[in-house]
Amino acid sequence: MAEHLLDVEDLRTYFSTEEGVVKAVDGVSFKVKAGERRGVVGESGCGKSVTAMSIMRLIEPPAGEIVTGTIQFDGRDLLKLSEAEMQDVRGGEIAMIFQDPMTALNPVYTIGDQLIETILLHQDVSKSEARNIAITALDDVQIPYAKNRMEDYPHQFSGGMRQRVMIAMGLSCEPKLLIADEPTTALDVTTQAQIMSLMLDLAEERNTAVLLITHDLGVVAGFCDTIQVMYAGTIVERGTGDEIFYNPQHPYTWGLLGSMTRLDESQQDRLNSVRGAPPSLIAPPRGCRFGPRCDFATDICREALPILHQSQEGQKVACHRASELDLKSLTVGVSS
Amino acid sequence: MFAYIIRRLVYGIVTLFALSLVVFMLIQFSGGTPLDRLKLNPRMQPVIAQLTEQWGLDKPWYEQYFIWLKNFVTPIDIPAEEGLTVYFGKLGVRSWVAIAAFVVAVGYAIATFFVKIEANWWRTYRAFSILVVGAIAFWIIKSRVVFALNWGESFRGDGAVWDNIFGAAGNTFRLGLTALAIALIIGIPLGVYQAIRQYSFFDQLGTMVSFITFSTPIFIIGVLLQLILAYQLERWTGVKVFYVAGMTSSGYAELGRGIFGLPSLAQLGDVIQHLTLPAVSIAAISMAGYSRFQRASMLEVMHSDYLRTAKAKGLPRRNIIVKHALRNAMIPIVTLVSLDIATMIGGAIITESIFGWPGVGRLYIGAINAVDYPTIMAVVLAIGAGVVVMNIIADILYGVLDPRVRYD
Repeated sequence: MAEHLLDVEDLRTYFSTEEGVVKAVDGVSFKVKAGERRGVVGESGCGKSVTAMSIMRLIEPPAGEIVTGTIQFDGRDLLKLSEAEMQDVRGGEIAMIFQDPMTALNPVYTIGDQLIETILLHQDVSKSEARNIAITALDDVQIPYAKNRMEDYPHQFSGGMRQRVMIAMGLSCEPKLLIADEPTTALDVTTQAQIMSLMLDLAEERNTAVLLITHDLGVVAGFCDTIQVMYAGTIVERGTGDEIFYNPQHPYTWGLLGSMTRLDESQQDRLNSVRGAPPSLIAPPRGCRFGPRCDFATDICREALPILHQSQEGQKVACHRASELDLKSLTVGVSS
Repeated sequence: MFAYIIRRLVYGIVTLFALSLVVFMLIQFSGGTPLDRLKLNPRMQPVIAQLTEQWGLDKPWYEQYFIWLKNFVTPIDIPAEEGLTVYFGKLGVRSWVAIAAFVVAVGYAIATFFVKIEANWWRTYRAFSILVVGAIAFWIIKSRVVFALNWGESFRGDGAVWDNIFGAAGNTFRLGLTALAIALIIGIPLGVYQAIRQYSFFDQLGTMVSFITFSTPIFIIGVLLQLILAYQLERWTGVKVFYVAGMTSSGYAELGRGIFGLPSLAQLGDVIQHLTLPAVSIAAISMAGYSRFQRASMLEVMHSDYLRTAKAKGLPRRNIIVKHALRNAMIPIVTLVSLDIATMIGGAIITESIFGWPGVGRLYIGAINAVDYPTIMAVVLAIGAGVVVMNIIADILYGVLDPRVRYD
């Protein structure tokens, strides 16, 4: 038994387009322990969803392809499994929840059908047992009158309720890892909070590891043990929640934190932002990929790609100047 | 649902009424009279005068219209006793099966309005039973024994319009339904396969063939099939495989009857030999349409979020496609096929002409050439009624296939 539940090593997922090869995920390595809640944060298009899809092997050739890397899950390399073996892993050992609950459920089948289908697929139970498991799962996600709602169709549920159904579906087979790809982005703020606290409770209760993908730092703050920040297909910083939030080492993380809206800073004229736009993933800039947008870039940043290394502060960071910069004492927006 | 169907039927009747008026006016004002072809012969003068009087052609057009309308909706009186004798005298095994099916279907249809079962199979069954009722009702009307309307005499002197239409309708349906079956059985799976293997060699090939058949006029496809599969094939092999015209050979009756008054195998073979070429001609075109439509709709579903969910659940690919994708991708096809069935009632004018098929299409074109307005009106209204009914059936099927659709 491996020490880590999930061990991704040098994952590279490329998409071929007419303009060229898009290196959506370009050399990502990370480990997730059993029961750990890991946040993956970054802008749109930084490769966080593709990382998740790669773990599930949902990238469809010929459009996209996992070029190199290993994904050790529970002692097996997922990339070496046959399609049939992978089907057992999907939904059974790794479950996934998607961004838009409005469209993630099949409109022509009842909630019950879709739940039971998953359970029958991964567990050796009879139809009526599967039905009971499904009802329990709906109960667990706090859907009222779960038994009666089994025969309802997705359109009879609200967005938040549908996301609860998705969570119930994901957790019904007691997976070891739950990948939640922006599970609350499409929901309103109060529902977001409910869904996150529900996921927190359920994951803690079952000791399910969670890979939470989001661009919303507020969402990860209360939920995750550890956070990794992704930028342009690579991980730029990784550490515990405290390390990332209170002592960011990478200028990008620092910029992201600075661009959060905060209730306690009401006097600001305008919201800070990280200047510029994410680089092209077809031809990423030379040297540090964040270099062109970084206020602290020097010659070395334009020459060599920084690798993820242990910083003095504890977390890992991919920045040449991490040790010299004291980002904590700088206010974001100073240089802009 | 019941109220919805009734409402739609009422709208449908209003539509048909308007349609009849417009078409009647078009015929009246487009010039020419049914008696024009007699005028060339001077000796026909008294006949013309007599027919003008008899058909009321000297009256104003609106009066003619109301006379026609009144007759059109009036049932022909069949004396009760005579009707019953004819009715039971003519009943063969097929009629009994039909009547039994009709009773069962009506029973279920009525029961469904009182019993509330939410299960999926029940909804499917209910829709199916309504379809069966429609089909059987048509069968009974077609047999004319219990019911007939006074649709008048054909102006071409070939008998009652009601008889002509329903005589031709059977032939047209034989051709139309066969063509539809071929088109669906090949076109739908073709489209699905093309979508699953998008941009593969087979997909490109299918697209190319679809475009060629879809854009080739039916008279070229029909004549090419006659030339290659009938004429040349017989020349090369010396065996007559397909016939170029007609519904059966002249010696059809001598081929022997099968059990229960059903056709014998030899007769069935003869029917297939005649039916294949015209059916394939029509099917080639609609098949191309169906496969394109199915491909597009399937592709849309294949890229949907819920299919990604199905994949993430660990469902096998086959299950994903058959259970999750196909059911959704079939929904838009329902409209297309329903309207095709509706227009099928009008017959395939060109195909029927090429293959000498005695269907509604040939009846129709003949009637137009002769300004035989009782026949023209009857055909147009039959097509109109078909559109109305098939639209309602399509709506019912929509409700069955897509739970988001509700009519209450």
